[in-house]
Amino acid sequence: MSRIVIDKEKCKACYLCINECPKQLIKISNDTNKLGVHTVEFNDPDNKCIGCAMCAMRCPDLAITEVYRG
Amino acid sequence: MATQVFKLPESLKGDVKYSFCPGCDHGVAVRLVAEVLDELGVRENTILAASIGCSVTIYDFINVDSLEAPHGRAMAEATGIKRARPDKIVFTYQGDGDFASIGLAESMHAALRGENITAICINNTTYGMTGGQLGPTTLVGQVTTTSPTGRNVDYYGYPIKIAEHIALCDGTAFSARVSLDTVANIKKAKQAIKKAFEVQIHGLGFGFVEILSTCPTNWKMSPEKAHERVRNEMMPVFKPGIYKDVTVQN
Repeated sequence: MSRIVIDKEKCKACYLCINECPKQLIKISNDTNKLGVHTVEFNDPDNKCIGCAMCAMRCPDLAITEVYRG
Repeated sequence: MATQVFKLPESLKGDVKYSFCPGCDHGVAVRLVAEVLDELGVRENTILAASIGCSVTIYDFINVDSLEAPHGRAMAEATGIKRARPDKIVFTYQGDGDFASIGLAESMHAALRGENITAICINNTTYGMTGGQLGPTTLVGQVTTTSPTGRNVDYYGYPIKIAEHIALCDGTAFSARVSLDTVANIKKAKQAIKKAFEVQIHGLGFGFVEILSTCPTNWKMSPEKAHERVRNEMMPVFKPGIYKDVTVQN
């Protein structure tokens, strides 16, 4: 099962990853972090993530710290 | 069993948070440099000559020995380090104002001397840290805080195309311009940075990569729109590509 790990405290809410995901699994969260911004959240109930890591390569703040494929 | 396909590079300090603005491509560029140092296995043997500008903060994030240089003089300092310690891998990480305006003499002559060092130059067409003034790479017609009616060539002249100029120097072993606007281009950028380090490791001469980056804060754009500007306005003027590669010519 493919998945990503998001460090929400590093997210600065640029939202570049949202358009990068081919399966539209990343969305803006209702929660805020210590910076006071609405971070992104990864929601994959149907196991659609393919582990392409495009979100992680796009993220300028290394907030997507790990990607697993399988 | 899931395999890990992405992890943070070991050359980065893991617990550090970037101080760049949201959506700034500096973060991607720093990560690519760290990944290349990891892959080449040279981190323990590398010295960074830090510049002035937003690019200076790389020494807070990357886990290599570093020295700070006066504005524009990173290339002169890197020359000294490399000549004193030729066994070390020496690189600079500079912005376009630092590399191509204030430090143009240092940069150009380092390339002309064929110094065996690597230079990474971030081109975002403005002076980012000081508030978005007109820089050497500001596009014709671009509005900045010091060109409020747009860059007028009669008054301000034309933007400098750094990668082409560096490629003309006989001491240059590798000169390329890359962009970070899409993931595909990020992968190409990493290959170019790796090549710029490899020419140094093999002692072939000066390695240079110009990276087209964004400055959403001073361009007053969203990060997504800033990437569209890179694609639609910057890339037709600053064309990505490899302008010199001695390993191919030989």
